Amino acid sequence: MASEAEDGVCIVDTDATVEQFLRIAVIRADAVLVVVEPYFKSLETGRRMARLGTLQGYENVALVANKVRDEHDTVHEFARQHGLDVAGVIPFDDRLPQSEWAQSAPLDFDSRSPAVMAIDELAQRLVDGRANAVGENGGAQVGS
Amino acid sequence: MNVAIVGKGGCGKTSISGTMARLLARRGHAVLAIDGDPNPNLALTLGIPVERIETLPTLPRDLVERTNQGFRPTRTLEEVCASHAVEGADGVRLLVMAYPRRADTG
Repeated sequence: MASEAEDGVCIVDTDATVEQFLRIAVIRADAVLVVVEPYFKSLETGRRMARLGTLQGYENVALVANKVRDEHDTVHEFARQHGLDVAGVIPFDDRLPQSEWAQSAPLDFDSRSPAVMAIDELAQRLVDGRANAVGENGGAQVGS
Repeated sequence: MNVAIVGKGGCGKTSISGTMARLLARRGHAVLAIDGDPNPNLALTLGIPVERIETLPTLPRDLVERTNQGFRPTRTLEEVCASHAVEGADGVRLLVMAYPRRADTG
């Protein structure tokens, strides 16, 4: 399928199985963001998903750490050890679970909450002509 | 630009996907959000009411065909959107893939 127009953005929310990677191949993702939580098992899962993405031919694969309280160093250290990029860090934010209970979108619930602000920053970086360098180290180099 | 946001259930990828989609739409981008999760919840994050989620059209199973070269789309994105996308808050269009059965058996 053709990409969206120049200023168009297509966002696919998906599981990271091989099968899903094959399916999303139809949109030719310019960037693959692997969302992880800041604990070891989740980081390990993320590492495997990132590797899978790289094996599927995606060049621009990076982690996004979510629900982060004070684990910035842990996340970055893990990423460094495994040659992964961190595209963004989203802070833990009570407003998100609260919005879910209210059956409201996070943005409608509190458009200035810390997590929403961090997601906004990440989105800006993505579309800011830096699609080839989402990570702080300038593009993903996923360890083999 | 096409972005795939992946992760395990519960990690928050849907909140990030939906919020990012709407923020980019507010900044003037034409945004298409595709819910490719087998357990689709993206509509809620996009601010589409629960009642409407129940009536969302799911994509037909013959959207992609398997060839020797891998999967190949059978329709253009525009064609699929015209028949299956719904519009939510901030003008974000949503396509729900939802695979109740395995789609690659056809």
